[in-house]
Amino acid sequence: MPLVFVAGAGMTRIGRRSEPLPELMADAAQVALGEAGVETPDAIVVATMNPEEFLGDGNFASNVATHMGFADVPCLRIETATSSGAAAVYTGFAQVAAGLRRTVLVVGGEKMTHLATPRVSEIIGRSIDPYERAYGATMPALAGLVTRVLMSRQGTTAREIGQVAVKNHANGVRNAFAHFQQAVTLEEVLESRMVAEPLRLLHCCPISDGAAAVVLTADRGRVRVAGVGHGTDTLAVRHRRELTSFAATRAAAREAYAMAGFGPERVDVAEVHDAFAPFELISLEDLGLLPPGKAGRATLDGDTTLEGRLPVNPSGGLKARGHPLAATGIAQLVECVWQLTGRAAGRQVKDARRALAHSIGGLATNNWVILLEAS
Amino acid sequence: MIETIAASRCPRCEMVVAPPASYCPHHPVAMTPATLPGVGELVTFTTLHTPPEGFRSPLHIAIVELEGGGRFVCHGTGTQGLKIGAIVAIEAIDDIYYFSHLGALERARLFWRRAGHAGDRVNAIARSLAKRVWKGRQRAAS
Repeated sequence: MPLVFVAGAGMTRIGRRSEPLPELMADAAQVALGEAGVETPDAIVVATMNPEEFLGDGNFASNVATHMGFADVPCLRIETATSSGAAAVYTGFAQVAAGLRRTVLVVGGEKMTHLATPRVSEIIGRSIDPYERAYGATMPALAGLVTRVLMSRQGTTAREIGQVAVKNHANGVRNAFAHFQQAVTLEEVLESRMVAEPLRLLHCCPISDGAAAVVLTADRGRVRVAGVGHGTDTLAVRHRRELTSFAATRAAAREAYAMAGFGPERVDVAEVHDAFAPFELISLEDLGLLPPGKAGRATLDGDTTLEGRLPVNPSGGLKARGHPLAATGIAQLVECVWQLTGRAAGRQVKDARRALAHSIGGLATNNWVILLEAS
Repeated sequence: MIETIAASRCPRCEMVVAPPASYCPHHPVAMTPATLPGVGELVTFTTLHTPPEGFRSPLHIAIVELEGGGRFVCHGTGTQGLKIGAIVAIEAIDDIYYFSHLGALERARLFWRRAGHAGDRVNAIARSLAKRVWKGRQRAAS
């Protein structure tokens, strides 16, 4: 199997953007292609979650490719709900690893802020089991159900969960691409408006616009895709025995570590899917980066800060960098590439050689783990 | 009035899902129909303060582990004093399922009202009562 390298990585500033989505995606793609020294890739993989609903546009792979001047380049679109970006990276990785294409552009983006919040929640909520949705379940509702169990059965405290948001906002301050570049205090998190008990507003990621892109190639480069893992679970949350651990993350991690030939103990920096603050704690344990039951304490102790033993979400995570759905899985990789090549100015993790990106699709129905290694 | 909840069971792994499904979520085999008593243990619950369109705030949503195995999503009318592990009854109002927290008196009333028509359901309620008493004793002991 040919080795696969990341030749270029780029993203737009995340936040409220006025540009049309194809424009944002072209901006991110141009940065990645420019860095790779590639004018025209052999193929394009596009990730968008709901362009039909958010924008009223379909056939989005052709839409984006044509907009960028790549009408003659084979393109396709990939979707696994909120992890679509990571799924698109997998698709591009597979094309290169199989020897089908030499250089593939993977670009993902979403545009949502032009719609009112209830409408955005409803559109994202279509990724939930229809029966649960009929009872009013939204993403925050399901996350609230998970968080309640985490707190009453695992003993995770409100301060431990709140500290995730505090830490990720502190990192966002150092990231010029982040949606939120201001700090929040633990008191502000603990006193913010209740959204889905016991989940509060400042536990939740924002609604964001933005795009991110990577160029994957078989030509040797500075950063190699060491492993990609995919894990899945039931669409309905009620069909799961366990709510405080995500089987889809555990399966994805197992597969990625096996492909990479190294385990969690060798990961120097991680971008973790913190759409809701408690998910960072759950995921750190599912990924094997922290022992079961220890993520909350470790977060309070500062182990996951930029200066800590294992920096987590140096970009600010979904919480502060923002969560433009299908851009997120790719934006995580962009941050990892910057960390591994010493370009994360202001938030550089020292001597980072191996990075992990973790993306959750739906309520952990379709998750991905991608491992990058500096060569 | 204890409802009967329609469900289905996987002939291979015995997993029970409610409402019924054609296939088991984990096996490509047809499920067999099953019915469960509308009584169970509260797995988790939340209250939405800005519910989606078509719902009134505050919206209480719960997952209940029904006696007989399946987990069920339903609404509630309130969550004050409610704890995970509480035994709740499920009732359908206009085809929408709601849970309600049962006090000892209500539970006894339910028990006697059902006695006579549905032996299996009565057994389920009796089991739940026994479980509750047992849990109470455990709590008292600890």
